[in-house]
Amino acid sequence: MATTVTPLPEPLDPGAANRALAPRLGSGRLYLRRFARNRGALLGVALFVLLVLFSVFGSLFTRFAYTDADFAALTQPPSATHYFGTNQGGNDVYAEAVHGLQRSLVIAVSVSVLTIVLAAVIGAGAAYFGGRVEKLTLMVIHFLLVVPSFLILALISHHLAGDWRVLILVLTVFGWMSTARVVWSLSTSLRERDYVLAAEFMGVRPWRIVMRHIIPNLGSLLIVNLTLGVVATVLSETALSFLGFGVQTPDVSLGTMLADGSGTITSAPWLFGYPAALVVLLTVSMTLVGDGLRDAFDPTSTSAALRGRR
Amino acid sequence: MTLTTAGMHPPAESAAPAPVLSVRDLSISFPSEAGPVQAVRQVSFDVLPGQTLGIVGESGSGKSATAMGIMGLLPETAHVSGRVLLGGRDLVGLNDRQLSAVRGKGIGMVFQDPLSALTPIFSVGRQLSDALRVHQSLTKQAAWNRAVELLDLVGIPDPHRSARSFPHEFSGGMRQRVVIALAMANSPSVIVADEPTTALDVTVQAQILGVLRTAQAETGAGMVLITHDLGVVAGYADEVAVMYAGRIVEQAGAKELFGRPTMPYTIGLLGAVPRPQARADRPLVPITGEPPSLVKLPAGCSFADRCPAAVDACRTQEPALAAVPGHGQVACLRVGDIADGHLAADSLFPAVADAEEHGGAGSGGEVVLRVAGLAKTFPVTKGALLKRRVGTLHAVGDVSFELQAGQTLGLVGESGSGKTTTLLEIMRLRQPEGGRIEIVGTDVAAQGSPERARELRRAVQIVMQDPSGSLDPRLSVFQLLAEPLQAVGADRETIQARVSELLHLVQLDASVTDRFPSALSGGQRQRVGIARALATEPRIVVLDEPVSALDVSVQASIVNLLTKLQRELGLAYLIVAHDLAVMRHVSDRIAVMYLGHIIETGDTEDLFTNPRHPYTEALLSAIPVPDPQLERSREHIVLEGEQPSASRLPSGCVFVDRCPLYRLLDDGLRQRCRTERPLLGSAGPGSGHRHACHAR
Amino acid sequence: MIHKSAAASTERVFLPVRKHHDHAQTRHTPAGPACGHRCRIPLLHEGGPMVRHVMRKAAGWLAMIVVATNVTYVLAAWFLDPRSNYRGLRPVRTEQQIDHALTPYNLDPRVPLAVRWWHWFSDVVLHFDWGKSPVGASVNSEIGFRVLVSGQLVTAATLLSVVAGVALSVFTASRQYGWWDRITQLVSVFLFNVPAAVAALAVVFAGIWLNQHLGWRFLYVAGEASPTVSGLWPTVADRFQHLILPTLSLTVLGYVGYHLTQRSLLLDSINSDFVRTARATGLTRAQAIRRHALRASLIPTATSVAFSIPAIFTGAVITETVFGWNGMGQYFVQTIAKNDVHGAVAVAAFGAAMTAIGAVLADVAVVLLDPRVRVS
Repeated sequence: MATTVTPLPEPLDPGAANRALAPRLGSGRLYLRRFARNRGALLGVALFVLLVLFSVFGSLFTRFAYTDADFAALTQPPSATHYFGTNQGGNDVYAEAVHGLQRSLVIAVSVSVLTIVLAAVIGAGAAYFGGRVEKLTLMVIHFLLVVPSFLILALISHHLAGDWRVLILVLTVFGWMSTARVVWSLSTSLRERDYVLAAEFMGVRPWRIVMRHIIPNLGSLLIVNLTLGVVATVLSETALSFLGFGVQTPDVSLGTMLADGSGTITSAPWLFGYPAALVVLLTVSMTLVGDGLRDAFDPTSTSAALRGRR
Repeated sequence: MTLTTAGMHPPAESAAPAPVLSVRDLSISFPSEAGPVQAVRQVSFDVLPGQTLGIVGESGSGKSATAMGIMGLLPETAHVSGRVLLGGRDLVGLNDRQLSAVRGKGIGMVFQDPLSALTPIFSVGRQLSDALRVHQSLTKQAAWNRAVELLDLVGIPDPHRSARSFPHEFSGGMRQRVVIALAMANSPSVIVADEPTTALDVTVQAQILGVLRTAQAETGAGMVLITHDLGVVAGYADEVAVMYAGRIVEQAGAKELFGRPTMPYTIGLLGAVPRPQARADRPLVPITGEPPSLVKLPAGCSFADRCPAAVDACRTQEPALAAVPGHGQVACLRVGDIADGHLAADSLFPAVADAEEHGGAGSGGEVVLRVAGLAKTFPVTKGALLKRRVGTLHAVGDVSFELQAGQTLGLVGESGSGKTTTLLEIMRLRQPEGGRIEIVGTDVAAQGSPERARELRRAVQIVMQDPSGSLDPRLSVFQLLAEPLQAVGADRETIQARVSELLHLVQLDASVTDRFPSALSGGQRQRVGIARALATEPRIVVLDEPVSALDVSVQASIVNLLTKLQRELGLAYLIVAHDLAVMRHVSDRIAVMYLGHIIETGDTEDLFTNPRHPYTEALLSAIPVPDPQLERSREHIVLEGEQPSASRLPSGCVFVDRCPLYRLLDDGLRQRCRTERPLLGSAGPGSGHRHACHAR
Repeated sequence: MIHKSAAASTERVFLPVRKHHDHAQTRHTPAGPACGHRCRIPLLHEGGPMVRHVMRKAAGWLAMIVVATNVTYVLAAWFLDPRSNYRGLRPVRTEQQIDHALTPYNLDPRVPLAVRWWHWFSDVVLHFDWGKSPVGASVNSEIGFRVLVSGQLVTAATLLSVVAGVALSVFTASRQYGWWDRITQLVSVFLFNVPAAVAALAVVFAGIWLNQHLGWRFLYVAGEASPTVSGLWPTVADRFQHLILPTLSLTVLGYVGYHLTQRSLLLDSINSDFVRTARATGLTRAQAIRRHALRASLIPTATSVAFSIPAIFTGAVITETVFGWNGMGQYFVQTIAKNDVHGAVAVAAFGAAMTAIGAVLADVAVVLLDPRVRVS
């Protein structure tokens, strides 16, 4: 967690350590070193890699496809043939879990990448240009934050009948605001930095200033939010699918598996337990990575970027 | 005022009073990525009651860590050893609860930045009475009354009402008074003041030093005054300790230390600091190099690498502080040679032979910048969500000046005087709100074609105050220097060639091109900033406090570099700086600003030796001089109050509310000062020295 | 925030920061100097500007609700197809018959959207009539009791979350990096990663287990009230028993955000200059945190309450589904599944209203906490 790194004393020549450590390579190696020293973060990376490998190669270890129904084994507990058991329809839960994890991963990663790009450009642009552009953007952001966006998400994805690609689009469109708001508020202080002013006085064009001087200086925030965005998206997707508004049959995601299993939590706990464990492993691993990255970028900060949970 | 303090007796003249605070072998280190940072090493000193020990040093010398170590306010990760004896009791190793009984009661502390030192959500009266009630059993009412008394004592006007105000309603100077009141509230026997005036304007600094004297007189406390400003120490401290790389390298009485500095570092420091009373032709002598990293200290004397007197033994053996007869203590292997005059202090840091006479070069050149009647206002808004305009801030009222090629014009004034706004208005290259700006003969309002606009951009460039803030941390030195060239459309080969030319020009090694700003020292960064400004071969370079973020020993080399560049390239400089001593060194002409108006302008020497406007006079008088004898004997003009906000300009003279002369005037002239704004008028026919005052 | 801006004391930042205090607006009470400790609580009657400030904000939020509700109407009318409710019915009806059946409910797709919207909007404004479902049930009668059911759930969960989160953060921040800090942080980070559905079901599971082991059905895991209970006190007790688990599962999810953000805000302000000053006057670290850092760091938390209500509401949708509560959340799932345009819009309006109420309360809290808002 964030607890293992001792904060550097700031007032004492903060550059000295940098100068001693990284005379040439910028800060990249320093970040890597700090990250690598964080046991939690390494655990997170390991977990995440394992989950990705599982989702890609897990299907090689079973002869069942997630769509196959084994009518000889309905609602069977885990066994040698069905590692995670079977559900009421005879589907192999292991095969479903591999596929569901894959689905959830693809959705989560693409949404969080798209979201970050959108949020960075909109937030930083609004802050830099200021005036009416900024006012209007903020109004839209506040509006979308306040509107029960989950409801609108449900409306739209219900209408579009659970195509996962559409789900990516919809989750992105309603997912960028809280990050954009954070980007905006940090950019407003970057906008006042002397190097931005200096660039203006050199005649550098506005969008170039945004792209070259503002967004790169939010790099650490954006990377941290990228990992936490994966968490948020997994949780959103799970919630939507759980309620029947996300991925829909015959397709399977971890959310739909949770929904299927929730009715039989006492009689057939494996139906719920395995997908629940996978979801939690996935989100926990990403949070560990995100925390480790944040500590690596800014060991003095205790601020969590854990905001805007949906 | 009915304030009496139990332990109030004049500083004992009798035989050696017992020290109130004794620090013995204090060492402090912090863990860091690269290894332990040895911030403070083996520091020992005594503070006598009623006396002041000044600790001077540059950034990273360990002086603030020493202060925090005494207070027990270091981060928990810090490793502290040695003893801090307060009235005989060792504070090192006490836990937080035990220390909290000492803090505020035994030792009071004054911090550097008054703007953030007070809790924003409590009234100042509440903070003061809380501080009193921590250590004394007072009723709320009694504590409140005492708080009001304290506010009165530190010179807060209308203390009854002010006690109910919140910190944000006070100016910086007023807040620092409150912080001092907090420090003295429980009559501590020691007051630690860590850079108490660094964040303040020079006229306010003079007031705050006065308040500190009051606090010390009231409580009879011994004081540890930590500062980087040699002038402040010269005027205030009885005893001075110079710190370098975590150690005390020289400690002596103020008179002895300034009169006959003995450690080469002290000698160099005193040679590098610009003196307001000295003519510009005394060149500043920088100390070469940079302070060592505190992570991996060299084996010998930490100053050896920069020391002109260093011998081989200096690099292997760290000298201990040794007593020098009649002088105090010095940590230097060659102390014998220096003390007995064998090694003349003057010859250690010889002035670089500066062939050309400073100043005369530029006069009579082409006018490259003409500003006439410049005005700029900002709306004063209120409300967090829906901003309503409630007033107008007249940041710049009516500013006119001319700048010739090869010449330097210095804009002088305190914060809020509009000098930086003036610079920024020029840099924007747009039609100003009022007045006109002409650059190399072209009115910026009528730039016409984009090519012409680009030409103008090339002609004016800026060097900013804080080199670590004005260089994008994500870009390498090469990218930083290439940026202005790319913006004017230079091709790749031109950029390559020009970048190495620029590095040479600012005396940087070509190896820095692929470094990032964080891997450069402060002086190197500012050189990059200067190189970037020169990239497009400008005619005019605007310098916004170019050396104020740098340490004294580095500052001198940047000042010398700027002078050299001007001479070689025929640049016109427009400089803003609050440090008048530096200004005297670099400027040919000076314009003094107050509340957005130029109130006096003239040739530098003329203005410094013969100031005519009462504000200029007070401003010059407020600069502390690094010479204890001069500083203590000369007459100080301490202005009352602070520069008001420019949102309510007086209709007459802008300085009327603080003018010391005003009080001496007759009613007719007073009326005139109140109602009619004085114009800049020549002191004599044909003189370039002009000032705006009815009374003189 | 993650980056602390370097506080360079350049002149540029001086702009209108230093505000003149306006006597007419500050309105210090004319009481004697003794008021020092008491004056910080602004009474409503003395703070004319404060009331106006809150009223202005409230008006803004009202506008926000109106816009949000109307946007949802348009989206719902666009995306939901009420005709599908009739398609599965026997005997099979023609499209025309279906449209005809929908006409009285203002859901006839042949009528232009603008016209339908106008009917709906004027009914809401004039009669507070939120329309009919595709099969003719009145939305008003459906939501009447559901609003109360969900309202108490969301309110209780929000309050508990804030209190638990802030209390925990204060408790742990003064023991930074100690055992308690590590353990609670670990738990919170873990809970942060648990999907609402999993958390709710885990609570159900735990509740059942507890009931079995106690041999007494104290905790209810389904429904919001037992149909058979009568009498005032039995009813109250019964409601309470039903409320415990859903509130708990919502709180478990909600407190995490407050704990983690408040902890970091506190730690940030512990390192701030004014806490150092407070310690220099003789407060211990823990005292300085409680008296000086906490209140200042509560200000951003108060503002964030408003923005976290949509999340709590989302959580409530799932919690109600899991616990079988007839609340707005469950209704929301039903309305979308049954293409009930008017019902879905009413849910959206409820959600927006909850957010707005939270935001106005947060504003009041900020004004109480921060004298700077009051004085300027």
